[in-house]
Amino acid sequence: MTVISTPATPTKAVDAQKYRRPGKLDQWICFWSVPIFFTLFGLIFVALTRVMPPPSPNLTTTQVLYFFHHHALTIKIGFTMLMVVVGFASWTNGLVATHMKRMSVGSVWAYGYIAALAVGAIPGCIFAAFAFLTAVFRPDRNPHVMVLLYDMGLLMFIGSLGCFAAQYLIFALAILLDKNKIFPKWLAYVTIWQVVTEGLAAPVFIFKHGPFAWNGAISFWQGTAIFVFWQVCLLYLLHRAIKDQPLGEAVQDI
Amino acid sequence: MTLSTDASALSTAMPPENASVEDAQRPKDYLPGDFNMWVFVLGDMIIFAIYFIIFMVERTRDRTLFLASQQHLYQTIGLINTLVLLTSSWCMARAVRATRSGNSVQALRLVIGAAFCGIAFIAIKVVEWSLEIHHGYTLPRNDFFTFYFMLTGVHLFHVVMGLVILGVVVRELRNPDLRRVSMVEAGATYWHMVDLLWIVLFALIYVMR
Repeated sequence: MTVISTPATPTKAVDAQKYRRPGKLDQWICFWSVPIFFTLFGLIFVALTRVMPPPSPNLTTTQVLYFFHHHALTIKIGFTMLMVVVGFASWTNGLVATHMKRMSVGSVWAYGYIAALAVGAIPGCIFAAFAFLTAVFRPDRNPHVMVLLYDMGLLMFIGSLGCFAAQYLIFALAILLDKNKIFPKWLAYVTIWQVVTEGLAAPVFIFKHGPFAWNGAISFWQGTAIFVFWQVCLLYLLHRAIKDQPLGEAVQDI
Repeated sequence: MTLSTDASALSTAMPPENASVEDAQRPKDYLPGDFNMWVFVLGDMIIFAIYFIIFMVERTRDRTLFLASQQHLYQTIGLINTLVLLTSSWCMARAVRATRSGNSVQALRLVIGAAFCGIAFIAIKVVEWSLEIHHGYTLPRNDFFTFYFMLTGVHLFHVVMGLVILGVVVRELRNPDLRRVSMVEAGATYWHMVDLLWIVLFALIYVMR
Protein backbone atom coordinates (compact mmCIF):
# COMPACT_ATOMS: atom_id res chain seq x y z
CA MET A 1 0.00 0.00 0.00
CA THR A 2 2.64 2.45 1.04
CA VAL A 3 4.71 1.51 -1.96
CA ILE A 4 1.92 2.49 -4.32
CA SER A 5 1.26 5.81 -2.70
CA THR A 6 4.91 6.88 -2.92
CA PRO A 7 5.33 9.26 -5.85
CA ALA A 8 7.46 7.77 -8.63
CA THR A 9 10.70 9.47 -9.57
CA PRO A 10 10.46 11.60 -12.77
CA THR A 11 12.57 9.23 -14.89
CA LYS A 12 10.43 6.27 -13.93
CA ALA A 13 7.28 8.20 -14.91
CA VAL A 14 8.72 8.94 -18.35
CA ASP A 15 9.69 5.29 -18.80
CA ALA A 16 6.21 4.17 -17.86
CA GLN A 17 4.75 6.61 -20.40
CA LYS A 18 7.01 5.23 -23.10
CA TYR A 19 5.67 1.74 -22.62
CA ARG A 20 2.04 2.89 -22.37
CA ARG A 21 1.82 3.88 -26.00
CA PRO A 22 -0.70 1.66 -27.71
CA GLY A 23 -0.93 1.96 -31.48
CA LYS A 24 2.18 4.02 -32.04
CA LEU A 25 5.15 1.67 -31.93
CA ASP A 26 3.55 -0.54 -34.57
CA GLN A 27 2.98 2.49 -36.77
CA TRP A 28 6.56 3.65 -36.39
CA ILE A 29 7.82 0.19 -37.40
CA CYS A 30 5.64 0.42 -40.52
CA PHE A 31 6.80 3.96 -41.16
CA TRP A 32 10.51 3.23 -40.98
CA SER A 33 10.08 0.17 -43.18
CA VAL A 34 9.23 2.56 -46.01
CA PRO A 35 12.65 4.18 -46.52
CA ILE A 36 14.34 0.77 -46.10
CA PHE A 37 12.23 -0.87 -48.78
CA PHE A 38 12.40 2.09 -51.13
CA THR A 39 16.19 1.89 -50.90
CA LEU A 40 15.96 -1.81 -51.75
CA PHE A 41 13.53 -1.14 -54.61
CA GLY A 42 15.89 1.53 -55.93
CA LEU A 43 18.80 -0.89 -55.76
CA ILE A 44 16.78 -3.59 -57.55
CA PHE A 45 15.24 -1.47 -60.31
CA VAL A 46 18.04 1.02 -60.98
CA ALA A 47 21.32 -0.73 -60.17
CA LEU A 48 20.61 -4.42 -60.71
CA THR A 49 17.86 -5.10 -63.24
CA ARG A 50 18.32 -1.85 -65.25
CA VAL A 51 14.61 -1.27 -65.86
CA MET A 52 14.82 2.23 -64.37
CA PRO A 53 15.49 4.24 -66.44
CA PRO A 54 14.00 1.77 -68.92
CA PRO A 55 16.03 0.59 -71.90
CA SER A 56 14.79 1.78 -75.29
CA PRO A 57 11.63 0.28 -76.90
CA ASN A 58 13.39 0.75 -80.22
CA LEU A 59 16.02 -2.01 -79.90
CA THR A 60 16.75 -4.58 -82.61
CA THR A 61 16.48 -8.30 -81.83
CA THR A 62 20.28 -8.51 -81.47
CA GLN A 63 20.29 -5.60 -79.05
CA VAL A 64 17.54 -7.18 -76.94
CA LEU A 65 19.51 -10.46 -76.81
CA TYR A 66 22.62 -8.49 -75.83
CA PHE A 67 20.66 -6.71 -73.08
CA PHE A 68 19.50 -9.99 -71.53
CA HIS A 69 22.91 -11.70 -71.89
CA HIS A 70 24.77 -8.71 -70.52
CA HIS A 71 22.48 -8.25 -67.49
CA ALA A 72 21.44 -11.89 -66.90
CA LEU A 73 23.16 -12.25 -63.55
CA THR A 74 22.00 -8.90 -62.11
CA ILE A 75 18.45 -9.48 -63.39
CA LYS A 76 18.41 -12.85 -61.59
CA ILE A 77 19.78 -11.39 -58.36
CA GLY A 78 17.60 -8.26 -58.52
CA PHE A 79 14.26 -9.79 -59.37
CA THR A 80 14.78 -12.73 -57.00
CA MET A 81 15.36 -10.15 -54.28
CA LEU A 82 12.19 -8.41 -55.43
CA MET A 83 10.19 -11.62 -55.09
CA VAL A 84 11.32 -11.77 -51.45
CA VAL A 85 10.69 -8.14 -50.50
CA VAL A 86 7.86 -7.00 -52.79
CA GLY A 87 5.19 -7.94 -50.24
CA PHE A 88 6.55 -5.41 -47.80
CA ALA A 89 5.23 -2.61 -50.00
CA SER A 90 1.85 -3.49 -48.57
CA TRP A 91 3.10 -2.35 -45.17
CA THR A 92 3.26 1.24 -46.42
CA ASN A 93 -0.14 0.92 -48.02
CA GLY A 94 -1.54 -0.45 -44.78
CA LEU A 95 -0.15 2.56 -42.94
CA VAL A 96 -1.75 4.99 -45.42
CA ALA A 97 -5.02 3.04 -45.18
CA THR A 98 -4.94 3.25 -41.37
CA HIS A 99 -4.78 7.03 -41.60
CA MET A 100 -7.48 7.05 -44.27
CA LYS A 101 -9.72 5.19 -41.81
CA ARG A 102 -9.16 8.02 -39.33
CA MET A 103 -10.73 10.42 -41.85
CA SER A 104 -14.35 11.49 -41.62
CA VAL A 105 -15.05 9.63 -44.88
CA GLY A 106 -16.03 5.96 -44.67
CA SER A 107 -13.49 3.11 -44.55
CA VAL A 108 -14.55 2.15 -48.06
CA TRP A 109 -11.99 4.66 -49.35
CA ALA A 110 -9.20 2.92 -47.46
CA TYR A 111 -10.27 -0.47 -48.83
CA GLY A 112 -10.46 0.98 -52.34
CA TYR A 113 -6.94 2.36 -51.94
CA ILE A 114 -5.49 -0.99 -50.84
CA ALA A 115 -7.38 -3.00 -53.46
CA ALA A 116 -6.34 -0.72 -56.33
CA LEU A 117 -2.67 -0.92 -55.30
CA ALA A 118 -2.78 -4.67 -54.81
CA VAL A 119 -4.26 -5.25 -58.26
CA GLY A 120 -1.91 -2.68 -59.86
CA ALA A 121 1.19 -4.30 -58.37
CA ILE A 122 0.48 -7.67 -60.01
CA PRO A 123 1.17 -6.60 -63.61
CA GLY A 124 3.18 -3.48 -62.73
CA CYS A 125 5.73 -5.19 -60.53
CA ILE A 126 5.37 -8.97 -60.26
CA PHE A 127 4.49 -9.96 -63.86
CA ALA A 128 7.11 -7.57 -65.21
CA ALA A 129 9.73 -9.24 -63.03
CA PHE A 130 8.54 -12.72 -64.07
CA ALA A 131 8.83 -11.80 -67.76
CA PHE A 132 12.47 -10.79 -67.25
CA LEU A 133 13.24 -13.78 -65.02
CA THR A 134 11.73 -16.11 -67.63
CA ALA A 135 13.85 -14.50 -70.35
CA VAL A 136 17.13 -15.00 -68.52
CA PHE A 137 16.13 -18.51 -67.32
CA ARG A 138 16.77 -19.99 -70.80
CA PRO A 139 18.97 -17.50 -72.68
CA ASP A 140 19.25 -19.84 -75.70
CA ARG A 141 15.54 -19.54 -76.42
CA ASN A 142 14.18 -18.39 -79.81
CA PRO A 143 15.22 -14.69 -80.20
CA HIS A 144 11.67 -13.66 -81.10
CA VAL A 145 10.43 -15.05 -77.81
CA MET A 146 13.14 -13.05 -76.03
CA VAL A 147 11.88 -9.87 -77.74
CA LEU A 148 8.33 -10.79 -76.71
CA LEU A 149 9.38 -11.16 -73.06
CA TYR A 150 11.34 -7.89 -73.24
CA ASP A 151 8.33 -5.98 -74.62
CA MET A 152 5.85 -7.62 -72.25
CA GLY A 153 8.06 -7.01 -69.22
CA LEU A 154 8.55 -3.34 -69.92
CA LEU A 155 5.01 -2.64 -71.14
CA MET A 156 3.64 -4.14 -67.94
CA PHE A 157 6.19 -2.31 -65.82
CA ILE A 158 5.52 1.16 -67.29
CA GLY A 159 2.06 0.68 -68.76
CA SER A 160 -0.09 -0.60 -65.89
CA LEU A 161 -1.78 2.71 -65.30
CA GLY A 162 -5.44 2.26 -64.53
CA CYS A 163 -5.24 0.80 -61.04
CA PHE A 164 -2.65 3.34 -59.95
CA ALA A 165 -4.68 6.23 -61.40
CA ALA A 166 -7.69 4.90 -59.46
CA GLN A 167 -5.62 4.61 -56.27
CA TYR A 168 -4.43 8.23 -56.57
CA LEU A 169 -7.92 9.48 -57.33
CA ILE A 170 -9.37 7.62 -54.33
CA PHE A 171 -6.65 9.06 -52.07
CA ALA A 172 -7.10 12.61 -53.40
CA LEU A 173 -10.90 12.57 -53.06
CA ALA A 174 -10.70 11.08 -49.56
CA ILE A 175 -8.38 13.91 -48.45
CA LEU A 176 -10.62 16.55 -50.04
CA LEU A 177 -13.79 15.15 -48.43
CA ASP A 178 -12.19 14.53 -45.03
CA LYS A 179 -13.23 16.86 -42.24
CA ASN A 180 -10.80 15.52 -39.61
CA LYS A 181 -7.84 17.17 -41.39
CA ILE A 182 -5.64 14.05 -41.27
CA PHE A 183 -3.69 15.31 -44.30
CA PRO A 184 -3.55 18.89 -45.63
CA LYS A 185 -5.62 19.53 -48.76
CA TRP A 186 -2.58 20.34 -50.87
CA LEU A 187 -1.54 16.70 -50.70
CA ALA A 188 -4.80 15.91 -52.50
CA TYR A 189 -3.85 18.29 -55.30
CA VAL A 190 -0.31 16.88 -55.54
CA THR A 191 -1.96 13.45 -55.77
CA ILE A 192 -4.12 14.69 -58.66
CA TRP A 193 -0.91 15.47 -60.60
CA GLN A 194 -0.16 11.77 -60.26
CA VAL A 195 -3.50 10.90 -61.91
CA VAL A 196 -2.57 13.22 -64.78
CA THR A 197 0.92 11.73 -65.21
CA GLU A 198 -0.55 8.21 -65.28
CA GLY A 199 -2.84 9.38 -68.09
CA LEU A 200 0.05 10.89 -70.00
CA ALA A 201 1.88 7.57 -69.93
CA ALA A 202 -0.99 5.90 -71.82
CA PRO A 203 0.65 6.31 -75.29
CA VAL A 204 3.52 3.94 -74.30
CA PHE A 205 1.52 1.23 -76.08
CA ILE A 206 1.81 3.13 -79.38
CA PHE A 207 5.25 4.73 -79.64
CA LYS A 208 8.74 3.30 -79.93
CA HIS A 209 10.52 6.64 -79.72
CA GLY A 210 9.95 10.24 -78.63
CA PRO A 211 8.62 11.78 -75.41
CA PHE A 212 5.61 9.44 -75.18
CA ALA A 213 7.53 6.17 -75.56
CA TRP A 214 8.07 4.06 -72.41
CA ASN A 215 11.47 5.70 -71.85
CA GLY A 216 10.29 9.14 -73.01
CA ALA A 217 10.69 12.55 -71.41
CA ILE A 218 6.97 12.86 -70.59
CA SER A 219 5.89 9.24 -70.12
CA PHE A 220 8.82 8.21 -67.94
CA TRP A 221 11.06 11.06 -66.74
CA GLN A 222 8.49 13.69 -65.85
CA GLY A 223 6.14 11.09 -64.40
CA THR A 224 8.93 9.65 -62.23
CA ALA A 225 10.03 13.11 -61.04
CA ILE A 226 6.47 13.94 -59.94
CA PHE A 227 6.16 10.49 -58.31
CA VAL A 228 9.31 11.04 -56.24
CA PHE A 229 8.04 14.47 -55.16
CA TRP A 230 4.67 12.94 -54.20
CA GLN A 231 6.34 10.12 -52.26
CA VAL A 232 8.50 12.57 -50.29
CA CYS A 233 5.44 14.70 -49.44
CA LEU A 234 3.49 11.58 -48.43
CA LEU A 235 6.28 10.34 -46.15
CA TYR A 236 6.64 13.72 -44.47
CA LEU A 237 2.90 14.08 -43.93
CA LEU A 238 2.50 10.45 -42.77
CA HIS A 239 5.19 11.12 -40.18
CA ARG A 240 3.26 14.18 -39.02
CA ALA A 241 -0.06 12.32 -39.02
CA ILE A 242 1.33 9.53 -36.81
CA LYS A 243 2.91 12.07 -34.45
CA ASP A 244 -0.29 14.12 -34.17
CA GLN A 245 -2.61 11.14 -33.70
CA PRO A 246 -4.07 11.26 -30.18
CA LEU A 247 -3.19 8.22 -28.08
CA GLY A 248 -5.97 5.70 -27.77
CA GLU A 249 -7.99 7.33 -30.56
CA ALA A 250 -10.91 5.18 -31.65
CA VAL A 251 -10.77 4.38 -35.37
CA GLN A 252 -14.01 3.54 -37.15
CA ASP A 253 -14.34 0.12 -38.65
CA ILE A 254 -17.30 0.17 -40.99
CA MET B 1 -19.23 43.79 -31.33
CA THR B 2 -15.58 43.38 -32.17
CA LEU B 3 -16.59 42.62 -35.75
CA SER B 4 -18.36 45.90 -36.17
CA THR B 5 -15.46 47.89 -34.71
CA ASP B 6 -13.05 46.04 -37.00
CA ALA B 7 -15.23 46.85 -39.97
CA SER B 8 -15.41 50.51 -39.12
CA ALA B 9 -11.65 50.64 -38.55
CA LEU B 10 -11.01 49.20 -41.98
CA SER B 11 -13.68 51.23 -43.71
CA THR B 12 -11.23 54.08 -44.23
CA ALA B 13 -9.03 51.86 -46.38
CA MET B 14 -11.82 50.01 -48.20
CA PRO B 15 -14.94 51.08 -50.06
CA PRO B 16 -17.31 51.50 -47.14
CA GLU B 17 -20.59 50.23 -48.58
CA ASN B 18 -21.18 46.57 -49.38
CA ALA B 19 -17.99 45.33 -47.73
CA SER B 20 -18.95 41.98 -46.26
CA VAL B 21 -18.08 40.88 -42.76
CA GLU B 22 -15.49 38.35 -43.96
CA ASP B 23 -13.77 41.04 -46.00
CA ALA B 24 -13.55 43.29 -42.99
CA GLN B 25 -11.95 40.54 -40.92
CA ARG B 26 -9.10 40.12 -43.35
CA PRO B 27 -5.81 41.99 -43.30
CA LYS B 28 -5.22 44.30 -46.23
CA ASP B 29 -2.64 42.21 -48.07
CA TYR B 30 -3.94 38.67 -47.65
CA LEU B 31 -3.53 35.73 -50.03
CA PRO B 32 -6.72 35.51 -52.11
CA GLY B 33 -8.37 32.10 -52.03
CA ASP B 34 -6.65 29.27 -50.29
CA PHE B 35 -3.00 28.27 -49.76
CA ASN B 36 -3.63 24.67 -50.87
CA MET B 37 -5.11 25.84 -54.16
CA TRP B 38 -2.07 28.03 -54.79
CA VAL B 39 0.22 25.02 -54.29
CA PHE B 40 -1.84 23.17 -56.90
CA VAL B 41 -1.98 26.04 -59.38
CA LEU B 42 1.71 27.00 -59.18
CA GLY B 43 2.87 23.37 -59.31
CA ASP B 44 0.55 22.62 -62.21
CA MET B 45 1.93 25.59 -64.09
CA ILE B 46 5.48 24.26 -63.61
CA ILE B 47 4.36 20.83 -64.90
CA PHE B 48 2.71 22.40 -67.96
CA ALA B 49 5.78 24.57 -68.53
CA ILE B 50 7.84 21.37 -68.77
CA TYR B 51 5.34 19.90 -71.29
CA PHE B 52 5.66 23.06 -73.35
CA ILE B 53 9.47 22.97 -73.22
CA ILE B 54 9.48 19.33 -74.36
CA PHE B 55 7.06 20.28 -77.16
CA MET B 56 9.39 23.10 -78.24
CA VAL B 57 12.42 20.80 -78.21
CA GLU B 58 10.63 18.21 -80.37
CA ARG B 59 9.36 20.96 -82.66
CA THR B 60 12.87 22.28 -83.23
CA ARG B 61 13.98 18.76 -84.20
CA ASP B 62 11.35 18.42 -86.92
CA ARG B 63 10.23 21.92 -87.80
CA THR B 64 8.90 21.16 -91.28
CA LEU B 65 6.67 18.31 -90.08
CA PHE B 66 5.28 20.39 -87.21
CA LEU B 67 4.59 23.39 -89.46
CA ALA B 68 2.98 21.26 -92.17
CA SER B 69 0.80 19.43 -89.65
CA GLN B 70 -0.23 22.66 -87.96
CA GLN B 71 -1.93 23.67 -91.25
CA HIS B 72 -4.53 20.95 -90.62
CA LEU B 73 -5.71 22.44 -87.32
CA TYR B 74 -8.91 24.47 -87.11
CA GLN B 75 -7.57 27.80 -85.95
CA THR B 76 -11.00 29.45 -86.02
CA ILE B 77 -12.42 26.82 -83.69
CA GLY B 78 -9.38 27.29 -81.44
CA LEU B 79 -9.94 31.04 -81.44
CA ILE B 80 -13.63 30.63 -80.60
CA ASN B 81 -12.66 28.38 -77.70
CA THR B 82 -10.15 31.01 -76.52
CA LEU B 83 -12.92 33.62 -76.50
CA VAL B 84 -15.26 31.20 -74.68
CA LEU B 85 -12.68 30.65 -71.93
CA LEU B 86 -11.85 34.36 -71.68
CA THR B 87 -15.57 35.13 -71.26
CA SER B 88 -15.71 32.40 -68.65
CA SER B 89 -12.78 33.90 -66.74
CA TRP B 90 -14.39 37.32 -66.93
CA CYS B 91 -17.60 35.90 -65.40
CA MET B 92 -15.54 34.31 -62.63
CA ALA B 93 -13.63 37.54 -61.91
CA ARG B 94 -16.95 39.39 -61.63
CA ALA B 95 -18.30 36.62 -59.41
CA VAL B 96 -15.41 37.22 -56.99
CA ARG B 97 -16.18 40.94 -56.89
CA ALA B 98 -19.87 40.24 -56.37
CA THR B 99 -19.12 37.83 -53.50
CA ARG B 100 -16.75 40.31 -51.88
CA SER B 101 -19.48 42.95 -51.90
CA GLY B 102 -21.94 40.47 -50.41
CA ASN B 103 -24.10 40.08 -53.51
CA SER B 104 -24.26 36.29 -53.51
CA VAL B 105 -27.26 36.04 -55.86
CA GLN B 106 -25.35 37.76 -58.64
CA ALA B 107 -22.20 35.81 -57.76
CA LEU B 108 -24.10 32.55 -58.07
CA ARG B 109 -25.42 33.56 -61.48
CA LEU B 110 -21.95 34.52 -62.67
CA VAL B 111 -20.34 31.27 -61.49
CA ILE B 112 -23.04 29.27 -63.27
CA GLY B 113 -22.35 31.40 -66.37
CA ALA B 114 -18.63 30.58 -66.10
CA ALA B 115 -19.45 26.88 -65.77
CA PHE B 116 -21.68 26.99 -68.87
CA CYS B 117 -18.81 28.52 -70.83
CA GLY B 118 -16.66 25.62 -69.59
CA ILE B 119 -19.23 23.10 -70.84
CA ALA B 120 -19.37 24.95 -74.18
CA PHE B 121 -15.56 24.72 -74.36
CA ILE B 122 -15.72 20.94 -73.93
CA ALA B 123 -18.47 20.60 -76.55
CA ILE B 124 -16.52 22.70 -79.08
CA LYS B 125 -13.36 20.71 -78.34
CA VAL B 126 -15.17 17.43 -78.95
CA VAL B 127 -16.43 18.76 -82.32
CA GLU B 128 -12.90 19.87 -83.22
CA TRP B 129 -11.37 16.51 -82.28
CA SER B 130 -14.08 14.65 -84.22
CA LEU B 131 -13.31 16.73 -87.32
CA GLU B 132 -9.59 16.00 -87.03
CA ILE B 133 -10.14 12.29 -86.49
CA HIS B 134 -12.68 12.21 -89.34
CA HIS B 135 -9.97 13.56 -91.68
CA GLY B 136 -7.53 10.91 -90.51
CA TYR B 137 -5.45 13.10 -88.19
CA THR B 138 -5.38 10.78 -85.21
CA LEU B 139 -3.02 10.60 -82.24
CA PRO B 140 -0.47 8.16 -83.72
CA ARG B 141 -0.42 9.95 -87.12
CA ASN B 142 2.78 11.86 -86.32
CA ASP B 143 4.65 13.57 -83.45
CA PHE B 144 2.74 16.82 -83.90
CA PHE B 145 -0.68 15.22 -83.60
CA THR B 146 0.45 13.19 -80.60
CA PHE B 147 1.31 16.44 -78.84
CA TYR B 148 -1.88 18.07 -80.12
CA PHE B 149 -4.15 15.37 -78.70
CA MET B 150 -2.19 14.74 -75.50
CA LEU B 151 -1.75 18.40 -74.52
CA THR B 152 -5.30 19.48 -75.43
CA GLY B 153 -6.48 16.29 -73.68
CA VAL B 154 -4.65 17.08 -70.45
CA HIS B 155 -5.99 20.61 -70.63
CA LEU B 156 -9.51 19.26 -71.16
CA PHE B 157 -9.10 17.10 -68.05
CA HIS B 158 -8.26 20.31 -66.18
CA VAL B 159 -11.42 21.94 -67.56
CA VAL B 160 -13.46 18.98 -66.27
CA MET B 161 -11.80 19.28 -62.84
CA GLY B 162 -12.54 23.01 -62.99
CA LEU B 163 -16.23 22.25 -63.54
CA VAL B 164 -16.18 20.03 -60.44
CA ILE B 165 -14.58 22.90 -58.46
CA LEU B 166 -17.12 25.40 -59.83
CA GLY B 167 -19.85 22.93 -58.82
CA VAL B 168 -18.52 23.00 -55.25
CA VAL B 169 -18.46 26.83 -55.38
CA VAL B 170 -22.10 26.88 -56.56
CA ARG B 171 -23.08 24.49 -53.76
CA GLU B 172 -21.41 26.66 -51.14
CA LEU B 173 -22.83 29.92 -52.53
CA ARG B 174 -26.35 28.50 -52.36
CA ASN B 175 -26.04 27.70 -48.67
CA PRO B 176 -25.74 30.82 -46.47
CA ASP B 177 -23.96 28.77 -43.76
CA LEU B 178 -21.23 27.60 -46.10
CA ARG B 179 -20.78 30.83 -48.07
CA ARG B 180 -17.14 31.98 -48.01
CA VAL B 181 -15.33 34.60 -50.09
CA SER B 182 -12.16 32.50 -49.96
CA MET B 183 -13.90 29.54 -51.61
CA VAL B 184 -15.03 31.64 -54.58
CA GLU B 185 -11.54 33.13 -54.81
CA ALA B 186 -9.96 29.66 -54.77
CA GLY B 187 -12.32 28.54 -57.56
CA ALA B 188 -11.45 31.65 -59.55
CA THR B 189 -7.71 31.06 -59.01
CA TYR B 190 -8.02 27.60 -60.51
CA TRP B 191 -10.33 28.70 -63.32
CA HIS B 192 -8.00 31.52 -64.37
CA MET B 193 -5.14 29.01 -64.51
CA VAL B 194 -7.16 26.82 -66.89
CA ASP B 195 -7.68 29.91 -69.05
CA LEU B 196 -4.02 30.97 -68.90
CA LEU B 197 -2.79 27.48 -69.81
CA TRP B 198 -5.16 27.39 -72.78
CA ILE B 199 -3.88 30.72 -74.08
CA VAL B 200 -0.26 29.49 -73.98
CA LEU B 201 -1.30 26.16 -75.49
CA PHE B 202 -3.27 27.89 -78.26
CA ALA B 203 -0.34 30.17 -79.06
CA LEU B 204 2.21 27.33 -79.13
CA ILE B 205 0.26 24.64 -80.96
CA TYR B 206 -2.17 26.53 -83.20
CA VAL B 207 -0.58 29.88 -83.97
CA MET B 208 3.23 29.80 -83.71
CA ARG B 209 4.92 29.66 -87.11
